[in-house]
Formats: sequence, C-alpha cells, structure tokens
Amino acid sequence: MRTRFLVTRGALLLAALLFIGACGGDDEPEPEAPAEQATTTAPTTTAATANEMMDVPDEPDTPTTTQAPTTTAAAPPAEPVRIRAAVTGDEGTLNPYTYISGFPGWNLLMLQYDSLTQVDADGVPQPWLASEVTTNADLTEYTVALVEGVTWHDGQPLTAHDVKFTADYFINNAAASRFARDLAGVTEVVVVDDLTATFVLEATNPGFNLVALADVPIIPQHIWESVTDPEGHQFEGGTNIGSGPFRMTDYDEGQAYRFAANPDYFRGPPGVDELVVVVFADDAGAQAAIRTGEVDVIFERIPPEQIDLLDAQDPLDVLLGPEFTTQMINYDASIRPFDDVAVRKAIDLAMNRQDIVDTVFLGAATVGSPGWIHPGHSSYNPAIVPVHDPAAANALLDEAGYLDTDGNGVREYDGGQPMSFEIITNAPDSLRLRIAELTVEMLSEIGIQTSVSSVETATWENAVWPGFDVSQGRNYNIAMWGWSAPVQANPLRLPSLIQSTGFLNLTGFANAEIDELSDRLAVETDAAEREAILGRMQEIIADQLPFVLLAYPDGAYVYDSDVYSDWEFIAGQGIVSKLSLLPPSARP
Amino acid sequence: MKAARSETKPRAAVRRFRVRLPNILGVIGGVIVTTLIVVAIFAPWLAPYDPKERVARPFLPPGEGHVLGTNDVGQDLLSELIVGTRVSLMVGIVAATVALIIGAAIGVLAGYYPKRLGSVLMRGVDVVLILPFLPLLIVLAAYLGRSLLNTIVVIGVLIWAEPARIIRSQVLSLRSRQYVLAARSMGASDRWTIFRHVIPRTALLATGSFVRAISGAILLEASLSFLGLGDPIQKSWGSTLFWAQTRGAFLTPAWQWWVLPPGLLIMAASLGFALIAFALEERIDPRL
Amino acid sequence: MTRKFDRRRLAQYGVVVLVAVTLNFLLPRLMPGNPLALIAGVDVGLLTTEQRAEIIADTGLDNPLWRQYVDYWGAIFTGDFGFSYRSGRPIVEMIRDRLPWTLLITGSSLAISALAGVVIGAFSAWRRGRPEDLGLLTGMISLESLPSFWLGMLLISLFSVQWGILPSFGAVTPASDLVGWEHLKDIIGHAVLPVATLTILSTPGVYLTMRYSMLETLGEDYIRTARAKGAGGRRVLFGHVARNAIAPVITVLAIRLGFAFGGTVIVEQVFSYPGLGRLVFEAVSGRDYPVMQAAFLVFTAAVLIANLVADLLYPWVDPRTRTS
Repeated sequence: MRTRFLVTRGALLLAALLFIGACGGDDEPEPEAPAEQATTTAPTTTAATANEMMDVPDEPDTPTTTQAPTTTAAAPPAEPVRIRAAVTGDEGTLNPYTYISGFPGWNLLMLQYDSLTQVDADGVPQPWLASEVTTNADLTEYTVALVEGVTWHDGQPLTAHDVKFTADYFINNAAASRFARDLAGVTEVVVVDDLTATFVLEATNPGFNLVALADVPIIPQHIWESVTDPEGHQFEGGTNIGSGPFRMTDYDEGQAYRFAANPDYFRGPPGVDELVVVVFADDAGAQAAIRTGEVDVIFERIPPEQIDLLDAQDPLDVLLGPEFTTQMINYDASIRPFDDVAVRKAIDLAMNRQDIVDTVFLGAATVGSPGWIHPGHSSYNPAIVPVHDPAAANALLDEAGYLDTDGNGVREYDGGQPMSFEIITNAPDSLRLRIAELTVEMLSEIGIQTSVSSVETATWENAVWPGFDVSQGRNYNIAMWGWSAPVQANPLRLPSLIQSTGFLNLTGFANAEIDELSDRLAVETDAAEREAILGRMQEIIADQLPFVLLAYPDGAYVYDSDVYSDWEFIAGQGIVSKLSLLPPSARP
Repeated sequence: MKAARSETKPRAAVRRFRVRLPNILGVIGGVIVTTLIVVAIFAPWLAPYDPKERVARPFLPPGEGHVLGTNDVGQDLLSELIVGTRVSLMVGIVAATVALIIGAAIGVLAGYYPKRLGSVLMRGVDVVLILPFLPLLIVLAAYLGRSLLNTIVVIGVLIWAEPARIIRSQVLSLRSRQYVLAARSMGASDRWTIFRHVIPRTALLATGSFVRAISGAILLEASLSFLGLGDPIQKSWGSTLFWAQTRGAFLTPAWQWWVLPPGLLIMAASLGFALIAFALEERIDPRL
Repeated sequence: MTRKFDRRRLAQYGVVVLVAVTLNFLLPRLMPGNPLALIAGVDVGLLTTEQRAEIIADTGLDNPLWRQYVDYWGAIFTGDFGFSYRSGRPIVEMIRDRLPWTLLITGSSLAISALAGVVIGAFSAWRRGRPEDLGLLTGMISLESLPSFWLGMLLISLFSVQWGILPSFGAVTPASDLVGWEHLKDIIGHAVLPVATLTILSTPGVYLTMRYSMLETLGEDYIRTARAKGAGGRRVLFGHVARNAIAPVITVLAIRLGFAFGGTVIVEQVFSYPGLGRLVFEAVSGRDYPVMQAAFLVFTAAVLIANLVADLLYPWVDPRTRTS
C-alpha cells in the first residue's frame, strides 16, 4: 500500500501536485484502503486555519482521527509499543555537546530535551516549554513564560533559572556548541520569576524565535553547573538528564541506543514505550534489516528506487513528503569564466531539471527553483519558475562571445582556452553522482565540456569549502553540492549563502543589491516586509545565479505499520522528531 | 585487505609428478582469458548499445532489446558489462605490469645484493605490507587526482610487494649457482651477470606472479569501487557492482541480472588468470 | 644461526617499527580535509575565526608537527591515546570494545579455514591429477576469486532477506536483554554469515599452500620409496606426510592472524559488524586522527609480532630449514 502524505497547506500546493504527478506516472492507480491511510496522514488541525483546502484526486478523505481501526483492534492499548529504528553512523553520546550530525543526530538529541518552542507539522514554531513568547516592539527582547509543573527526568522542577543557565552555559562554553551560534547576540537572560525569563538581545533579531527558541535544548542547571569540560565529561551511567519524552538508558557505541519513555512528560506520556536506535554501517544494511523485520523504521531517507519496492512488501509502508534538502551546481563565481553572468545563465538554461527528477529520482523529488526557496515553502516567490532552453543558452553564449572557433564542439573563452572543466562530486552519494553525469550531458549541448571527478567526501568538502571557512577560498571550478534542510527551512539564513560576506557563500558570489537587502532583512521587524525582501532576493538569485539549484529530493521514510504508524511528517524536515512519538493529542 | 601471501609457499612442483593436470587447467584458463580479451578488443562492436547512452527506462528487468535489463539511469546493462570488460582487464593487466616492474626491480636487487641493499629493500617491503591501506589510498588519490590511470597506479603500488618477495628468493638461490659464481669470479660486471644470467632465469617465475597479480588487481578494483574509492564513472565490472549496490539491487529481484553477471565475470577473469598462473608455476622449479 | 644475526634482525625490526609508526602518524595528516567538522559538529561553517582557532588549540592540532609527533610517541609509551574526536570516548576503551568482535569473526574463520584447507589440501595432493583434485583445485581457485562484498551481500540477500533464517547485521540483537545460553546463541547466530564469508575467502589460500607443500613432501625420495612399497599402510603414510607438510601452513596462518587484527573492513562494513575494521573506516572518513593513529598502531604491532613469531616458529616446525 502506498501511503501518500499530503501537506494540506495552500502554500504546499505546487509541491504536492508535482509529487503526485510524479508518482502517479509509473504505477497504475491502485485502490487504497482509506482506513489504513488515515493512520499515517498528517493531522489536519492546521489545515483548518490554512487559507484553502485543496482537492487533489489522490488525496484520501482525511478523518481527523488518526487511529486506524485495524491496528487498534489488533493492539490493545495496554501492550507496550517498542520501536527499533535504523540510522547509519554513530552519533556519540547524544548530549548537546557530543551529538554529531545535524540529521538525525540533532533529532535524536531532541527526543531527550525540549526547546522553548517546537515546530509543528508545517515547520512553524508553536508554544512548547514556553506557553507564550512575547516580544517588545523592536524585537530586541523575547520574554518566555514557562509551562507550569515541568520536571526533569530526575524529578527536579524545570524553572526559568534553567533557561538562563542554558543560555549562559552555551555562550560560555562556545567552542564546540552550535547552540552558542544560535544564541549569539544575546546580551543577557533576565529571570523575572520562577516561570518567566527574558532574552535581551544586542540588536533586532526577527529570526530569534525560529533560530534559537525552537532549536536550543534547555539543559538542567543542577546537572551541568558542575560540568567543566562538556565535550569530555563522562556522565554517570552515560545517560543524559533532560525534560524530553525519552531518556537514553543505554548506549553501545557503534551498535545501538536505547531510549525509555518518560511517563511524566509534561505533554502526556509518549505513544511509544521504548525506542531502540540501531547503528548501521550503510543504508544497504538498514534496508536489508527492514525487509527481514529486524528493524521497524529507518530514520533516513530511503533512495527513490526503494520506495515502491518496500511499499509493496507487507506490512511496510512508505511516508512521503517534500523536504528542504537541495541538490545544486556550485561554480566559483569569482573566476573566469563563471564570473560572467551570461555563462551562469547559460548553464542554468541548459539544465533539464525535470529530466533529473524523473531519471535520477524516479519522480521522488521536486524540481529546483532557480531562486533557491522550495515551492512548498511559505516564503517561496511563485513568480520564479525554472526554464529549460538549450537554444537560448547557446544564443546567450554566442552573443557573449564564447564561440567554438576551432569547430571541435567545445566553446573557447579568453583567447582560445577551451570551456572544459572538471565537475567534482563525492563518491558515496550515488544520486549526486548520477546528477553530475546528466549535467555533463546537458552542458555538452551548449558547448561546455565537463568531466566528472568523484572523490571521497572529506576530499570533496575540502576542495569546495577548504577548512569549512569561506575566507580560505575555493579549490574547484564546478562542483555538485547540497545543503541540509535547516539551511533552507529558516529563510532568514538565506543571506549567509549569497551575501558577499556570508559564511556559507561557497561560490564567491557578490552582488551589491543582495548585500543591501541582506542587511535590511536582518533588522526588519515587520514580517510582511521581510517576506517582500525574501521575494526580491529570490528574483535576484534566479537572475544572477550564485548557484544553480537542480532539485529538492523528497523525503521517503519506510516503517512497519504493524508496529507503529502515527508518524508525523514535519514539512521539509521528515519524520524523525518527538512529534512522531507523542500521541497526536500531545502534538502542537 | 591485502593479506601477505606466504613467502614460504613452496613453489617447487616436483617434476616427476607432473601429469597433465596443469596443462588441462592452463588450457581452461587460457580459453577463459582469450575469450575475455577478444570481447574486450571488439567491445564496441559486440555491445548492442552505447553503455553511456540512456536508451530505455531505468530499472528495466531483462526483456526484449535488453538481455540483462537496464541500470538505474536506463543504460543497457549487457553493453555496460561488455564494454566494462575493457576497463577491468586493462586495470588488471596494467596494474599488474606496474607491480611487476617495481617488484622485479626490487626483488632482483634485493636478491642479488642480499647484505646491505637487500635487507634495506626487504624492510621497505615489510613496511609497505603493514601500512594502513585505506588512508594510503586516499592520500595517493588526493595527490594524484582521481582517474582511471591513478586507480591503476594505486593498485600497482599496493600489490608489488608480493612479486618482489617471490623474485627475491629466486634470485637469492640463483646467486649461489655455479655459473653465476663462475661469471663473477671471472670479473664479469654485476650488470652483465644480472642481465645475462639472473633475469632470464627469473622470467618464467615472474610471469607466473604477474598473471596472479592480474587477478588480484581485478578483484581489488572491484573492492575499491565498492568502498567508493574507485572511479564509478568508468564502466567496469566493479563500477557496475558499485551502482548495483548503492541502488539496492542486492535486495531486489534485480540481483539476478545486475549483481550476479558482473560478479561472475570478475570471478571468471580472476579464475582464468589464476589458472594460467597455476599452470606456469607448476612448470617452474625454482631450483633451475 | 649466530646470535649476532639475531641481534641484527631485531635491529631491522626496530627500523621497520620506527618507519611504520612515523608513517602511521603522517598519513592521516597528509589526507586532504581536516577533523574540524567532526569536532565542531554540524554547524562548522558558522564558526568564527576565533572559535575555529580555539577548537584547533583544544585538540593540540595547532602545535608544530614535530611536537605532535613527540606526543604520539609519548602516547605509545604511556598507552594513553586520548579521546576520539567523534564519540568523545577514550580511544583505548573503544579499541577494547571493538577488538574482541574482530577477533571473534577473523579467529573463527581462520580456524575453520585452517582445518578445512589442510584436510582438503592434503587430500587433493594425495589424489593428484585425478578428477577430484582437478575439481577441488578449480573450485578453490574460483572461491578465491570472489569479491568479498559481493559474496557477503548475496549471503545476506539469501539467508536473511529471502529465507529469514539468519540475522543480517550486527554482533548481537540490539537491546534484547538476553543472558547466558540465549546470549551466546545470539552472538553465534550473528557471527555465522560474516564468518562464512571470511572462511570461504580464506580457505583457498590455506588449501593451495597445503597442497603445494604436501606435493613437495610426497616428492621426497624416502616417501616415494615408502609409498611404492606400500610401507606402513596408506593411512599411516598419509598422516606422516601431512604432518611433515604442515609447516608452511602454520607460517601462513601466523601471518594471517597478524593481519586479522586490522579487521576486515569490507566484511564488517557489509554486515554492520562492530569490529575494528569499521572503526578504522569511520575514523578515516571523518579524519579522526587519534583513533586512526591508535588503530594503525595495533594493526602494525600485530603484523610485526606475527611476522616475528612466524620467523621464530619456522625452524621449529620445519626440520628441513634447520639444516639448510
């Protein structure tokens, strides 16, 4: 059975349509059992507030109840639910200083801890530990009012002092903590009373809500105040005390994690009693294990070709939805010939994004917007659509003087140098490698000759982003690249990618208007005005092309529906979050 | 990965026991290898499609027009394997040549001058054998750049130690033979002795270890591809398996047409060369 | 052999150790890329220049190379290799956790393939030139030619996915709380496929060595005479010859055991087996310098000791070399 996930927010209409079109294309429309679908369809609570409900043929009529009659009948509520999940790669001891990857490391971390706000299924921050967040007029003070009666795993109460301690601790032990970056610009946290704290910021920061409050785990003062070496500290029993719905009870390095439900969780006890996270060496191993029934869910996106195959196997189901990860072409825009916008424009026009989506992703991806932001994102500027027109690209290059004078099919630039470049990509990412191969084909149609060089990941990173520090320059001509979902999920991060001083600006792009808009965006207090700035920025990106965005791979998660099926797909970010493991009534 | 093959393995086949067995095996090996070489040479004419061309829908099972179906982007798998024969054999043969040249040079020198130079060289061989091979590979790839040629060089550099050991022990024993001693006592230069007496009598043994190195190199190329350290863009049996592996073919019915054939081809080629090597080794008595 | 020779031999080993250790130190640092991402975590790009410098200083990576080299030697002598950049755990502990698993699968597969290789090899040599010899020989050479990952994946595909009779990954069932006999059964069940893969791949080497050695022994004059006369019964003679032929096999096994400590990267990777090989692979991919250095050291030491043991053992097990 194919479970189709549909985001019912109007803003996601286009993405959803594209997605349905794509997967409807290759398999015959099979009748689906509405009752079972209901178990995995996102609760539509937010849909009521969304501007319009859409009517898509494939969409099941979603009852607001999320309990499937079949599964509830089989499993009486008293029976403990135990989930075994697969991840690839160890994530360390999973405290705020030792977790490793942004996904799924941070997601697993946040099963044990809570943030002040929590993103809902649409990716919008909602009250969580903080029952209310209020700001002053110029967005320099954020006051949080905590929910009453929240306790840590050891029974101690969670208070505003812990909130202040958390901010101070992360800022004072900044080096290895990403949360210190989130909190940069906090001058102090004032404890108003036991349940109220105010973050005082240096400057207007409209993104603080999403960047910091929804991201930073609140840590217990009584545990951490004695910890002087947060990275090396060996906690008693190796467990982490948080306030979250789960508590890690066991960690076997390189093999497995074990989490037990926190029955006293402030939003109510989780819907899952025990979670075992198994560490695999690669995704082939994880896919074998879900087929054999040795695990019940994979906490990683499965590759496109597995979607139908796994879905066809009972009792496995696949949950699909748009995600904000990206596949793109980077070029060094500070050197010849990529410093010429005509060349960049021609590359953009030469790319047949639909072909990439169909061939490489078998339809399970969304065609890339040249303006960077996902069509399903609330900040997307709908005026921007990709164009595939090799003829126009050729005309553009001819006009700009890049001619093939010696008739070998390759254009020349700057006095006879052939437009022949190496595309560098990382070998373990096979889909990206295939995109690179298609890119070679597409660029050859406009007289640009390229060859793919696939290298090991750290080597590739070091060429594109030496020392992870853009001030160290770039060692590549063309590279396949991709950013993880959080970079795009928060559109206020956009300037860091394209501003001439941006710390994620890997292509050496510089544009005066972008710089000016970036500065304005950072201090703009009016939400509508911020959206207008973002809209304009997308136009400039689509016109000036600091990079060429090709596709946003869709998220696809496989799980055993006999074991658990209340998975919640957070738009753009997937199913690995505490929302999935809480009963629907406890979700934001 | 590269286990030390014994330097103690007695290569001496006893002549009186020689029966037709090595010949039969050698012939089988020869037939396999010849077939593969013919396929490699005529690959572009034998392959029904250009393996770099996307000719059909991705992930097609075997059917009309595509005997082995298509791969993950719709390239014809049979053509991929036929053309891949070229790259795989070339990697095997060229890498083994590199290994042989390095190995023979070091083996002859170390065997002929066993005291100072020899022990220095052989300790060098020891070091190569115990070096951690993954980082070595990455370092080499980083400084050489990634290409087919470099994959070949890397493999060659990794497998030369064994031929060096074998050749050294042969030269060591040649050195104490009457004619070598006689030549030296008559004042013949080392150079002349080496080229006139030592190298010709090592050639057959070297050929045996060369052929064995080919099968090792073909296997190593496939393993490198699996670890993502090869060149997956080049069509070779190893890269076909890399794609089969990363696109999940091992766990789906596709293993029958996508996984089995390249694996069997790698096995066949490796077997073919190993059988020839075996037949050669059986004919050699190191105490010539 | 004179004592003087032994001392020189020892000195040579010393030089090999020195060079190997130095290269173990240099190789990780020659690889492109750096461990910053591993240390700083996901948002490494958001680091300010000062934070970047602070992290580097914390790990001692800003020290001059010679200083780091001296520290490495210090670590070797004190046995304190520090903490992994990735997991933050003491490296000695990590290696201690991983090594038994690697030794379990490589040790059992070596034992099985030693037994199988010796028996089949002796049999094959005894029946030299007959169809059974031909069949065994071709079969063994074919097995040696299988790519290890291919074999491993196919075994998973058949035994775990198709027939569901054996676990497909790991060393134990995660979080299963098994104890005693059940726990042991669980461990054995998980080891079956990796051990089978390794055994299939390593038996041919032992077999070929044994077969060669046996043939050589069979060629010795006294055996040929005895065999021709039918002296002592075929069975006794077979046993006698096989015992004499076994010396080179033992040397081969000693050396292989040395390599076994390095883990078997590919098999551990395919079966997600928590051994040293996978640890090294992860450390290499993430540029976890301290883990790499320590693991390579274990690897180097094991191989050298195995070589030394093989050298010392050889005259003992092979009477012929004693006189030569």
